[in-house]
Amino acid sequence: MNTPSTRENLIAGLAEGLEPVRQFKSRDGALWVALAVTLTGLGVFVIEGFWQGMLQGEAAPFFWVTNGLLLLLGLAAATSVITMASPHVGNRYDAPRWAAAMVGVLPLAALISAISSGDVSHSTMHVVGPHCVKASLIAASLTGVALIAWLRRGAPVSLNLAGWLTGLAAGSLGTFVFGLSCPLDTVMHLGVSHILPVAISAVIGRLIVPPLVRW
Amino acid sequence: MIADEATLARLMVASQKGDKVAYNVLLAEAGLWLERYFRRRVPPHQLDDLVQDVLLAIHNKRSSYDAARPFLPWLSAIARYRWVDHLRKVYKHEADLLEDGDASVDSDEDVVEARVSLERLFVNLPESQAKVIELVKLEGHSIREAAAKTGQSESLVKVNIHRGLKKLSAIIEKAE
Repeated sequence: MNTPSTRENLIAGLAEGLEPVRQFKSRDGALWVALAVTLTGLGVFVIEGFWQGMLQGEAAPFFWVTNGLLLLLGLAAATSVITMASPHVGNRYDAPRWAAAMVGVLPLAALISAISSGDVSHSTMHVVGPHCVKASLIAASLTGVALIAWLRRGAPVSLNLAGWLTGLAAGSLGTFVFGLSCPLDTVMHLGVSHILPVAISAVIGRLIVPPLVRW
Repeated sequence: MIADEATLARLMVASQKGDKVAYNVLLAEAGLWLERYFRRRVPPHQLDDLVQDVLLAIHNKRSSYDAARPFLPWLSAIARYRWVDHLRKVYKHEADLLEDGDASVDSDEDVVEARVSLERLFVNLPESQAKVIELVKLEGHSIREAAAKTGQSESLVKVNIHRGLKKLSAIIEKAE
């Protein structure tokens, strides 16, 4: 059994070796994410190009709805992850849950639309879909790395949730950025090929993030 | 008497800037606070180990404290996290059973406060899980004894402990 002097020695040792540290600021985490998303955007636009049509009135309303919801989900999840690095009894992470639920409506809309029109085997879904899924996941990776690095710098205590939210944030922001280069704006394509990578990214996040940020 | 929230927060901010004197005081005060916080949540002979474990965590993660927010909820989150981790690791047998003479001497008020705090986390668990965690992890009974006391099979006791700890780790930041 330890004696009080053991603790006193520990405290004295820790105090003696104390070095100044950079104070936690959520703004720093937001800058990390913003930088990662910006670099991702540059990479996407260099490799895939930018769909000019969206600025010329060619995009369907569903294109804006989908990308707007993805952006909101990404911001909500990333904000929660940034907050998680500074643990606090009383923290709540409800916003990304609701945002994810709203994004979850999109594939349902695609399904209902396909069934009602009898056009389930939409050709674009098969031909272009896999590329969008893969490219979105690649676009998610840098944001994911930034968020993991941020969590490792902090002290997250809700590890599994941190994993889900990191995956959601990276996936939705990556898909959003990639989506600005994709001219396919049908309900079926957006509702499936631009939502699936978010779900896959969330699962990947849940699997790989907790062991990486455990402390 | 343990320093109040505002004093602890000031000491922490000074510590983040490298003030060794403030840090010494902060850790000593945090140690006292943690001792009280964990009392009744761990057997007395493990209390100091756990307190020191949290003090080390505070040291390693001191940059994660946000000076714009209160200090004690941050400390509580870290303490809960290390406590759940401690429960995962610890498996006690009959030799570790709490004995009356070994228990900390508290005022009734302290005991009630600690108990309420414990219940605050445990209230989120199903009764079957909370009971076996209390019996095995907090009071030091064996799996077999817990099974006999609760009427659960030994396998179910193990499953309930596993599920309960998993749930606890998911609600560390939960306040209500």
